Amino acid sequence: MIEFEKRGVPTVMFTSAEFVRDAQRSGENFGLPQLAKVVVPEPFTNHSADAVRKLVDAAIDQVVAGLIEPLRDRAQLVQDLVFLDEDWLDFSGPDQLSALEQMQSQFLVYGWSDGFPLLPPTKRAMDRMLSGTRRDPQEVVAVLEPGFGIATVQKIAANAVMAGCLPEHLPVVIASIECLAEPQIYLRNKAMSTGPAAPLLVVNGPIRKKLNLNSACCALGPGAPSAANTVIGRAVRLCMMNVGHTYPGISDMDTVGTPLKYSMCVAENEEASPWTPFHVERGYEASASTVTVHFVYGICELKTFQSHDPEELIEIFSSAAMNDAQVSTGYWLLGRRSDPRSGTSEQERHMMLICPEHAEIFRSAGWQKADIRKAMHRRSRLPFKRLMLTKEREAMALSHPELHWLWDSPDTLLPVLEDADCYEIAVVGGTLGRGSFFWGSGAPVTKPIRE
Amino acid sequence: MTKLEVFNPVARSAEVHVDPAPRLATINDKRIGLYWNMKTGGNVALDQVSKLLSKRYPSATFELVVGSVGAAFRHVAANDAARVAANFDGVVGTTAD
Repeated sequence: MIEFEKRGVPTVMFTSAEFVRDAQRSGENFGLPQLAKVVVPEPFTNHSADAVRKLVDAAIDQVVAGLIEPLRDRAQLVQDLVFLDEDWLDFSGPDQLSALEQMQSQFLVYGWSDGFPLLPPTKRAMDRMLSGTRRDPQEVVAVLEPGFGIATVQKIAANAVMAGCLPEHLPVVIASIECLAEPQIYLRNKAMSTGPAAPLLVVNGPIRKKLNLNSACCALGPGAPSAANTVIGRAVRLCMMNVGHTYPGISDMDTVGTPLKYSMCVAENEEASPWTPFHVERGYEASASTVTVHFVYGICELKTFQSHDPEELIEIFSSAAMNDAQVSTGYWLLGRRSDPRSGTSEQERHMMLICPEHAEIFRSAGWQKADIRKAMHRRSRLPFKRLMLTKEREAMALSHPELHWLWDSPDTLLPVLEDADCYEIAVVGGTLGRGSFFWGSGAPVTKPIRE
Repeated sequence: MTKLEVFNPVARSAEVHVDPAPRLATINDKRIGLYWNMKTGGNVALDQVSKLLSKRYPSATFELVVGSVGAAFRHVAANDAARVAANFDGVVGTTAD
């Protein structure tokens, strides 16, 4: 909408009451806090056409006003986030712990916390954290959407302190932020959504051992063996909030939320993998240390203790992919996630964390990752009519007019992802036949870790 | 009293500013774009806007506009915005949820 206003076209936009703060925040982020809005009491989704018409009938005067009346001053609008100009903030109490409690409660009031206790970014903690990188504290690593927050090394370090990171974890967090800033990630799309897209970090290379990152039992947490995984994942999410300004209820409009947003970081179990490591597939040397960020919607198991045949494994694994309540399923029918500013175009990709035991079954049968991908693509299919239950017909008509004939053959089986390469595969986990499957949102991005 | 001094973890924002477009003196005789980002129900809402405003402003015209990029949500690319600016005097959009 702001693109129209920029070009001199007065614009007014419908939003529902629950999303007013989000819309307001968007307007502020993208330079037009006075963006004219038509506020209706309920969203148009999941309503009959008659119900939508009634909502519009009641709001039509707002539409006219938005086009012909002067835009309202920002000061009259809803206040949301707290931004303080000071670099250093003071809290006090009868003793240090009381002062720390004051900080905790105040950060919650400000909206700066993920809900768990935070470690205080004191001068000593900051100096210690910044010793974990050779980069200048004032170096701008990225500008993070949706708030166009300037991600200096120092700001990243502060959130790493709060998360509980050690100095040696900071380079992984910084590289993760570099991933977030890549146009391919299309961060705005992930960070400002009603969906639960959360960043899954996959770390490869020698740094895994150096930092005691867990790639085996309980790699996704919780517990002491995954302590490094936990704090690194948490730091990245705190950066999304406090540096990128994606805050729950304001720009992060995730309908239900997800525990995956607290922290999600694993190391690949390269030693137990019979295949090329994940980062090598993505163009890096085996000796390089990298982090991959892939936004994912949710997780389910890839569990079987019975199977020792690869086709049977695929039969079971494909059931995870064929979840038509999941937004990624058949998403390709509507097109690809595209950032109009950078011209990116990303396929929906899923992440499979295959456990070592299942990897060995595939290896014994001579299967490479490419064989698994082809088999998953071949087997994971649903009828067109089911895939379209959750999708706008007009969107498909725009993206794939050549597939219009499917409406006359609605039982045609179609793959749930666009092609076989959309299945990302890494080996993670301990003994026994249980892996994890993640429904992806767009494509992963990998960056080298600079220590 | 004991003081605890901590570094502000919240980043400053890069400044972005857009001047709002001048508003219309009237909707009569104007060409109004109805921008739908493909979110469910938005097209129904815009169709109703068109019906209601056509009655109030019979000399106005209304036309549906969609973005050229995206999938479940379609976005406005630069050439889309330029086309809208060339062909319409105002825009009503759906939906910011």
